[in-house]
Amino acid sequence: MNERISRLMDGELEGPEAEAALRELARPDAVSAWVSYHIIRDALRQSGEPIPGFARRFAERLAAEPTVLAPRPREPHRLPFVWAMAATAAAVLVVGWVALSTLDPQPTFIAKAREAATIRTAQGTSESVSPDFLLAHQEYSPTAQIQGVGPGLRVVSGRGD
Amino acid sequence: MRPATRIGRRLVRVSAFLWAAFAATAALAEAPVDWLSRVAAAARVQNYSGTIVYQHGTHAETSRIVHLNDRGEEFEKLLSLEGPAREVIRSQGEVRCYYPDAKVVRIEPRTFRNAFPSLSPQQQKTLAEFYEFRMAETGRVAGRDVQAFVFEPKDGMRYGHKFWADAQTGLLLKARTFDERNVIIEQFTFTEVSLGGRIDRDMVKPTWSVTPDDWRTRRFGGAEAEVKETGWTVGRVPAGFVKIVEGFRQLRGVPDVAHLVYSDGLVTVSVFVEPIVRAPHPIGYFAQGGINVYVRQVDDYLVTVLGEAPAVTIRQFANSVARR
Repeated sequence: MNERISRLMDGELEGPEAEAALRELARPDAVSAWVSYHIIRDALRQSGEPIPGFARRFAERLAAEPTVLAPRPREPHRLPFVWAMAATAAAVLVVGWVALSTLDPQPTFIAKAREAATIRTAQGTSESVSPDFLLAHQEYSPTAQIQGVGPGLRVVSGRGD
Repeated sequence: MRPATRIGRRLVRVSAFLWAAFAATAALAEAPVDWLSRVAAAARVQNYSGTIVYQHGTHAETSRIVHLNDRGEEFEKLLSLEGPAREVIRSQGEVRCYYPDAKVVRIEPRTFRNAFPSLSPQQQKTLAEFYEFRMAETGRVAGRDVQAFVFEPKDGMRYGHKFWADAQTGLLLKARTFDERNVIIEQFTFTEVSLGGRIDRDMVKPTWSVTPDDWRTRRFGGAEAEVKETGWTVGRVPAGFVKIVEGFRQLRGVPDVAHLVYSDGLVTVSVFVEPIVRAPHPIGYFAQGGINVYVRQVDDYLVTVLGEAPAVTIRQFANSVARR
């Protein structure tokens, strides 16, 4: 079921399959998954722009299925359903961008987003990849060579550990 | 692998001629891999110094670069001009990263094992198949005439790349990675550059010729990556990516980290799998510079996938990592 919702989120479902997935969303646990995937999806897409036409199609379907609009989130500390569903391009852009900012992360938001996405995180651990991994990766990177300085720049931008 | 000096000498003779010939016939279509080889050669062969601005997302940072090719041997110094004074020195097969704020110097060997002259035929094929390569406009960068080239992705699993190469030498002066909406993911550009002049060895030496006593020196890497099956595989490799390397390495103190590298000819994605040694550990997605990273747990292992590819691609790699 979660796999289907994930695929619905990614716009991979059409027609009857999409209908079936949307019908599943009437269930409260499916709605929690919807919130989670929405947060993850928007963070991953790094922007608030929805799949073209998706917002419109979804709004039309929502109008036909009012029960989807009135979920009771299971856990009180999750982000309100309204936050995700009413997300405009601008709002989600901000949300997604904040989650991704490596310059000045806002721990509260990231923690909440991760709770909602049922992803565990540790308090106080740094959110950057080890330079070891970066350098091992860049040994094989064709673009790293033509850019010459590129890889060095990424390492210099990071931390010393 | 041939010694750097022999390759260096050949390249000094050949690349200047080739680039001039190429520039003269710039209107002709050219195979992307040949163009890439030329640009890679220029980065190794030319002496240059300049100021670079590196941007990713809303973050921008200025650095100074000096590169010397002394009879085939390369020396390079990169130093940050903003924030803490960090330096990266590359010479004699070694890379040293100096972090004065943390009082740490990291030392590790640096080799390019996937150099353009030796891109496998398969990689050259995927490069042509999944990117459209075209010449774009001429212009000026850092006061020099440049020719722009674009690698336009043919699907949504990779970014677009635009490169501006110096018209005279082929040296890359500006490079940009962008997504399907033309949003810039990452860009670096010279804002001023001095090419071909004399560079003294002093200019590529680290500020700290002797590491101060209160600094920590950390040595890494070292051993050649053992090339062998790791017992891990990616079940749903995104289109256009081919596995080019697999083996174990010692990374960040963990002796047997599985490292699988996939390439589409232009970019690579690395999959690292290590037994979980310390908990808790961060899990999830984040972006760092121009790379996307996704960390997840599979049984008692931590899987880290990273690369210069869109999040959807990194995610597909990460979600289909499994035991062989």
